[in-house]
Amino acid sequence: MQREVGTLPLAPALRARLAAAGFQTAQELLDTGPCGLSKEIGISREEALEALQVVRQECHGHAARTAGGSGTTRKCTALELLEEEQTQGFIITFCSALDNILGGGVQLTKITEICGAPGVGKTQLCMQLAVDVQIPECLGGVAGEAVFIDTEGSFMVDRVVDMAAACVQHCHLIAEAQPEEDHRKALETFSLENILSHIYYFRCRDYTELLAQVYLLPEFLSEHSKVRLVVIDGIAFPFRHDFEDLSLRTRLLNGLAQQLIIIANDHRAAVVLTNQMTTRIGQSQSTLVPALGESWGHAATVRLIFHWDNSQRLATLYKSPSQKESTIAYHITSHGFRDVQPPAVTPSTEGTELNPRKRPRTEEEKQ
Amino acid sequence: MVVLRAGLCPGLTEDMIQLLRANGIRTVVDFVSSDLEDIAQKCSVSYKALVAVRRVLLAQFSAFPANGADLYEELKSSTAILPTGSPSLDQLLDSGLYTGEVTELMGAPGSGKTQVCLGIAASVSLALRQHVLFLDSTGGFTASRLYQLLRAHTEDEEEQAILGRPRLCPVLQLEALQRVQVERVFNIYEVLSALQELRDRLSQQVVSSVGPLKMVVLDSVSAVIYPLLGGRQSEGLALMMQLSRELKSLAREFSLAVVVTNQVTRDSSSGPLKPALGRSWSFVPSTRVLLESKETTWEKSSPQRAASLAKSPRQPTGIQVELDIG
Repeated sequence: MQREVGTLPLAPALRARLAAAGFQTAQELLDTGPCGLSKEIGISREEALEALQVVRQECHGHAARTAGGSGTTRKCTALELLEEEQTQGFIITFCSALDNILGGGVQLTKITEICGAPGVGKTQLCMQLAVDVQIPECLGGVAGEAVFIDTEGSFMVDRVVDMAAACVQHCHLIAEAQPEEDHRKALETFSLENILSHIYYFRCRDYTELLAQVYLLPEFLSEHSKVRLVVIDGIAFPFRHDFEDLSLRTRLLNGLAQQLIIIANDHRAAVVLTNQMTTRIGQSQSTLVPALGESWGHAATVRLIFHWDNSQRLATLYKSPSQKESTIAYHITSHGFRDVQPPAVTPSTEGTELNPRKRPRTEEEKQ
Repeated sequence: MVVLRAGLCPGLTEDMIQLLRANGIRTVVDFVSSDLEDIAQKCSVSYKALVAVRRVLLAQFSAFPANGADLYEELKSSTAILPTGSPSLDQLLDSGLYTGEVTELMGAPGSGKTQVCLGIAASVSLALRQHVLFLDSTGGFTASRLYQLLRAHTEDEEEQAILGRPRLCPVLQLEALQRVQVERVFNIYEVLSALQELRDRLSQQVVSSVGPLKMVVLDSVSAVIYPLLGGRQSEGLALMMQLSRELKSLAREFSLAVVVTNQVTRDSSSGPLKPALGRSWSFVPSTRVLLESKETTWEKSSPQRAASLAKSPRQPTGIQVELDIG
């Protein structure tokens, strides 16, 4: 392998010593062997063995990947990816307008970021998604489990119970309208207790705990392979207060973003993050922009901004790789996240409560 | 810095190496740059043998100067210009992407960098029938969007084509999709490993999967390098330079067009936007295009996008064109 020593993932001190000793390619390292290596650079034999192990893994690792294709094949043609994408499901949000602008719902294997002012409904959407991800496949869901990482303490179990009950009722209505065998079988397991038991809740109090949780998540996900949604409610909160070194913050956030993309990609899960808004003071006016700075804007693949227009809540798709930018209105009822006007087809019993009269901002339904 | 080893050239024996090493000469550079008479005395090795060894080592390891005219002829025959599929962008880039060079697209989030890369990939794989390698480090590659762009391209061509063959069009698009190879790389070592693999494949000329590769897209380079820069980590800059060297040498040796995307940052919360990765990286790409979306509020339906030339070896900087991302 003509791979240069500088490009191998070794410790910096070791790399400096190898460069000083004059080693250039990985092949030279492998030829020397552990004894020769430890004599040349002056490290112990165990360290030399370890280093050679890493080198061998790097060089032969990608040879194995080209030959066979290991578990997580990260390499494919666009055609194969297209087929994969077409069979992939979406996590619906129960608000058909929002699903439409997202292209079907929250996409798996991508990071979606929801930014908004306080009280506009970000946590509500996260809780709704944690319930919706469990809808059985025959009814249009992905039949997965959810991981909820809470940093602000805004997760309310009674609210999730309300949403889950409404979701179960909705699914029963659909099943009654189109009675099929697999619908009935799926609905036997789709109950309130089941939904709640498949939401894994973690509480992180500061950024160290959050980083640790995210870096340990791959292990958790390999044990619970049915997880299809990871929600981090409040990624801005631990990073915004008490952080003096801003460049450290940028670095940590970027590392976190890469880790989340790896999780989303390897485990075919959707990652949903919520962010706060901050004011940017311009020359003549000030605008509300998402928090955490410019470089964080590149972390998420899909970005939704929730904002108010008098007393109507609006959602704008700000950044997406495949959909156009557009704005829709939504509503939060006692049953969860819904459209402003209920679609005429569904025989929902929520018709009486889903009043298109705009509710004033002070009267909040979330307890 | 190659270590002196027995068998590197005839006349360089193990004993000689031990003697040289005892006097502090370990690598070829040390040997070639030292005074041979001095060494002959200190190591008690014959002067003639040392001169012979030096001659062989110089022949093996030194670079050869090339004639400017030869270089020009070589460039004329090996450089290709790849049209990007968008006439305004072609105008900005002086008729297209030049192979053998690194071109950078930078912009704020949501300004359309990934879209432009997808558009270029679609144009190259469909119109020119060349293979494209897409290294995706952000997870933003959506195959359905690429398919949409390919369909839009073939519809344009259908209008211009005299023989209407609508049944062949899906086949053409599927073939074009097969020519785009996507690899997901999420940290710097995976990027370097992927580039090394590409180099091995191209130098062995394995025709089967790669085909005539003409373009490599790395979206985005700042996502993999940002976590390494700054603070007390000293290796970030070194890795960034390793990456830049790999990209440039690949572009030059195998006549590829390399496209990278970069972020923009601000110095302070109200400062002007500047490209990320600092001054060291700014020397790497030969052409830099800044993408902006000219919209002030979120409610506007389809924002206008503008591309301006920030750095170019051929055109005056500051040219601005309007882009339309289909």
